[in-house]
Amino acid sequence: MDPTALPDLTHRAYSAHRIAATVSAVFATAGLAWVFLTDVILYQLIRDRVLIARVETAKGWIFITLATLLLYAVTFRSSARLDRVRRLTTAAVESIGDGVLLLGHNRAVAYANPAAVRLLHCPREELIGMGAPEFSRRFRVSYPNGALVPPEQFASQRVYDEGGPLRYKAVMHPPGGDALVISVTAAGVRLQVGEPATWVVSVMHDITAADRLERMRDQFFAAAAHSLKTPVAIIKADVQALFPAVTPEDTRVAASIARQCDRIDRMVQNLLVLSRAHAETLQLHPSAMELRPLIERISGESTWSHRHDLHTEVTGRLPVRGDPERLALAIRNLLYEACRLSPADSRLTLMARPEGDRVAVGVRYQALPWHDDVGETYGEYDDIGIGRTVAQTIAEGHGGSLTNEDAGPERTSWLRLPSDAGAHA
Amino acid sequence: MRRRNDVLVVDDDLDMVEVMELVLKDAGYPTRTALNGQQALDAVAQAMPALILLDMLMPVMNGWEFARAFRAQYGREIPIVVATAAEHVHSRGDAVDAAGVLPKPFEVSDLLRLVARYVPSPHAAPSY
Repeated sequence: MDPTALPDLTHRAYSAHRIAATVSAVFATAGLAWVFLTDVILYQLIRDRVLIARVETAKGWIFITLATLLLYAVTFRSSARLDRVRRLTTAAVESIGDGVLLLGHNRAVAYANPAAVRLLHCPREELIGMGAPEFSRRFRVSYPNGALVPPEQFASQRVYDEGGPLRYKAVMHPPGGDALVISVTAAGVRLQVGEPATWVVSVMHDITAADRLERMRDQFFAAAAHSLKTPVAIIKADVQALFPAVTPEDTRVAASIARQCDRIDRMVQNLLVLSRAHAETLQLHPSAMELRPLIERISGESTWSHRHDLHTEVTGRLPVRGDPERLALAIRNLLYEACRLSPADSRLTLMARPEGDRVAVGVRYQALPWHDDVGETYGEYDDIGIGRTVAQTIAEGHGGSLTNEDAGPERTSWLRLPSDAGAHA
Repeated sequence: MRRRNDVLVVDDDLDMVEVMELVLKDAGYPTRTALNGQQALDAVAQAMPALILLDMLMPVMNGWEFARAFRAQYGREIPIVVATAAEHVHSRGDAVDAAGVLPKPFEVSDLLRLVARYVPSPHAAPSY
């Protein structure tokens, strides 16, 4: 057997009972065949009773010798295979770059690989037998926002009851080491499908460097957005300050500059939201609010009525728990998409209405025909694609949804949010 | 404390200060300017404005420091409106107990509407 060959770990595993039964059956069949065939041959060739007795004794010895050799070969082969698999598995786990902890049925650490020992700055002997409360005290496991993770909320503990795999991001503070940002994936090991986990494998992936880069990128985008918005604000205010004293043509140019300022501002906000959404660092600042004033404010913005006939239909109370800044961005993105994808001078309708336990905000427009899907014509990363992705991200961040509804030539983008009516009832 | 019915614009960007001053004066609002929180405190010490338009990210003394010092010394009678290009402008406004917020970039009409809420209009403002 080639000692470097990888054993087939993917073939169907036979149960120990089945293997033992097969070996026993083969042995019994071969033994019976040996006894029967050799007896037949013996009694045909030899008539002398003394000689027959001696040959039968020799036959017995030969049988025992062959059976012993066969037993040795079978046992050796099985044991060698099991030993190889065990050594290979151990070597593989020991050489994994991520920290691996194996937790036993008592929910304490039963095994830690060298990477886990290095990561946690803790000798293996101290890790073995360590339960979740001690692990929590020792390594101060916290969420990225700084709040401590209760020991019972560790993925490696929850997975015993909830199934998995479970994954989350945490910060740990190994004694004598720097804070670590880790991505933890915990999975239960079950002997049979559907049974509770007997053991749990918890893999700790060090993402400290990647997290630092993410934070730097986040800070860069925030600083760049702030830096870009200030000159845009000045240009827009300067241009508007010119309005009363200029010719109609100058007014048209000034209005165009103001619209483009709004567009740049919206794109900057979209890029910031998109970057944070991809980095999973987007934060919403929700508060109890009524959507009607926001809708009315947005519908009053000159951008939308420049080349379109904008109508607003708001009915009923529209209480939501939302981030006004982000919701305004989502609604403006949908209006911008409608403006871009509909004929000039066509009708746009900005609607808002209660729908049971939801509040629906819709933008209806006459969709221009496209040879391809809009998604293919406008890529994911042009301003319409980014705007839609951001609107969807914001909707989902509020527990809502963004959908399209087509009725003949008309298309409506529906932003649906959970109603906050119950909170004020 | 001497009081004036004017607007104090506090922003470290000179162009922003100039255009806000231009718009407000054009609308008839007496306006003073300061380039950071410290200058704003000096201006307030000379005469109390009717409204303070406050940027947040400024050198020397930022908007949070100014608001804290101003409230400690003069209380909450004079409204502060936070005007910033930063994210989460409402949260920033809440952080300094602002009477209102003005996200940048802003419509000049929004600026005038906000100012008119706190400062009596001396004459009809031009339409923006």
